[in-house]
Amino acid sequence: MEKKLNILYLYPDILELYGDYGNIQVLKYRLEKRNYKCNIERYSIEDNPPDFTKYDLVFAGGGADIEQDILSKDLIKYKDNIKEAIKYGVFFLLICGAYQLFGKYYKDADGTIINGLNIFPYYTEAINDRTKRCIGNIVIEATLNNQKEKIIGFENHGGQTSDVFSPFGTVLYGNGNKFGDKYEGFFLENVIGTYLHGPLLSKNPSLADYIIKYCLDRKYNENTELEKLDDTFENLCREQLLNRFKK
Amino acid sequence: MYKIFTIIFAKILNIFLKIIGKNGGNVIGKIALKINPNILSKFKVNSRVIAVTATNGKTSTNNCIRYTLEKAGFSVVSNSEGNNMETGILSTLLKNCTLTGKIKSDYICFEVDESYVPKIFKDFKLDTLVVLNFFRDQLDRNGEVETLILKINDFLKNYNGNLVLNSDDPNVSRLSRANPNNNNIYFFSCDKYKYATKKIKEAGEGKFCPFCKTKLEYEYYQYSHIGKFRCPNCHYGENEIYKLAYNIDLKNKKFDVDGITCETTGNSIYHIYNNLAVICVCAIYNIETEIVINSLKTFSLNNGRLEELNIKDCPTLINLAKNPTGANVSLRILNEDDSEKNLLFVLNDNIADGFDVSWIWDINFNDLKNVNRIITSGTRAYDIAIRVKTAGFDSKKIYPFINLDEAVKKLYETKNKKYVIANYTALQPTRKEIINYSKK
Repeated sequence: MEKKLNILYLYPDILELYGDYGNIQVLKYRLEKRNYKCNIERYSIEDNPPDFTKYDLVFAGGGADIEQDILSKDLIKYKDNIKEAIKYGVFFLLICGAYQLFGKYYKDADGTIINGLNIFPYYTEAINDRTKRCIGNIVIEATLNNQKEKIIGFENHGGQTSDVFSPFGTVLYGNGNKFGDKYEGFFLENVIGTYLHGPLLSKNPSLADYIIKYCLDRKYNENTELEKLDDTFENLCREQLLNRFKK
Repeated sequence: MYKIFTIIFAKILNIFLKIIGKNGGNVIGKIALKINPNILSKFKVNSRVIAVTATNGKTSTNNCIRYTLEKAGFSVVSNSEGNNMETGILSTLLKNCTLTGKIKSDYICFEVDESYVPKIFKDFKLDTLVVLNFFRDQLDRNGEVETLILKINDFLKNYNGNLVLNSDDPNVSRLSRANPNNNNIYFFSCDKYKYATKKIKEAGEGKFCPFCKTKLEYEYYQYSHIGKFRCPNCHYGENEIYKLAYNIDLKNKKFDVDGITCETTGNSIYHIYNNLAVICVCAIYNIETEIVINSLKTFSLNNGRLEELNIKDCPTLINLAKNPTGANVSLRILNEDDSEKNLLFVLNDNIADGFDVSWIWDINFNDLKNVNRIITSGTRAYDIAIRVKTAGFDSKKIYPFINLDEAVKKLYETKNKKYVIANYTALQPTRKEIINYSKK
């Protein structure tokens, strides 16, 4: 039987500021190289309501402030369904703006509050000064399947996220959830919320494979042994960047 | 007195820099600003002042306007080398003014960085502003596109001069409403060209109507979000066009305007838009049509912008790409060409490029036509290699080299046509390396 993962890609036309679609492309690439099928469905405002529990993975990226407000009102309609999906174990990969939206609220630089889904207890407040943002290359250390992994990406956010009870990783280089923070992102077994784009999975094949394995294991109730792929470029890229940032 | 002192100092500095072989594109302005922060408001200008701003195409368009005006016999002061921020513009003025701050040329033509338009023209007269396009560009340096547009929109609220706008970019066209009392609005537009699409093909910005937030409808997309759009709710986008390009034939580098056929030097749709902006400006200033047509036919920058070279019998096209749209239009040219090709993509992440290279994931690398090898280089050679691989290009045919001379050597190992795309700080070193290679 052909094995297949179903991915729900949220607001592809709105949350697409930093090449975040690349994450989906990387997942698709790594699945298809191993002869798994990858089915990507898109949902945006005005489309038929999706059932989040039917997917193996839900992905959403980052957008501009103005757009964030429009879609938070839309996304909130699905709050209960999303909660159920998370409880079922559907994997959620949430970058930047989407990460913020799953918390309590986002307060922008003018003080306007955009309500979040309030699924997780963290909240985000932008600094009053619009010109101050956490911008730059970032390296964090995360623990995936009991293994420590360095995760490389790029962060660009004004929002400062507080009250994260379970961060994605510890910051080795860069800012993290706040200016000069020790921690970055939010992590449960099946939820990653992070400020890292670049896109995130393009430079972190082990993280991409962690997500793929999690989804396959869950769906087919097995302990999947993922076939090794040729990651020469990825490894060279990581080596070069880690050397640069070590200083 | 203070002014004269600043000008004399700047001129001496300029002579000194020339002696030591430096151009002083920004330095002179930088120091002058330190001495006299209001210096920009102190010049005596009788020239007609034209400024071009955009995300892409500033240098080409501004230089073509300058070239045409000079062909028409006018004297022109311009920042032709592309120093387009406050300091660069100030340097240009200081180099070209009299000791009392007078500019004596007939015209002043500036290309101006998008974010500096309000600052520079707050105190400096402006007769014509040309706005070509707004795309996402170095988000880590510039911030979101919307912020930039609002800044220019605010400035235009009190502006009554000529405003030359690309009618096919919803982000540009909206500026016509910034000042309802300004009657000097000139729209230009290009008719649907051969490779226009029904659906958007590359990352773009114009999704919602800026006035009523309704989703915009497109009859077609030329490239990125440039195309024939309208708002189904408030009819935004139905502009009266001043100059329209039609019968666009990129293969033969030709298009028609007002019943006259123009020949041009570039084979890209965005090049036609740039040409059309030049035609608009020249029409406003009553430059003879014959002169304009001749100028479009002969103008070329030769600095790595759509530059065609012949390197050891390999036709080579070099183009700058600072952002997804820049790269996507280059790939359009590549895909519109049927011959067998190699691609060299040079990607740096120096400060002037922006440190964030995630924009390469907004480049449409799918279905590259007749490309048999891709060589990547620059400080982010591996990032672009991963990008191309993930798009489905065979990884055995991708060759990343951080080192540029190795990359160029690899590129010319075969005899096919070469397409070279390089981002900002990569462009001139790449061009130089290729020209050096041809001499070996």
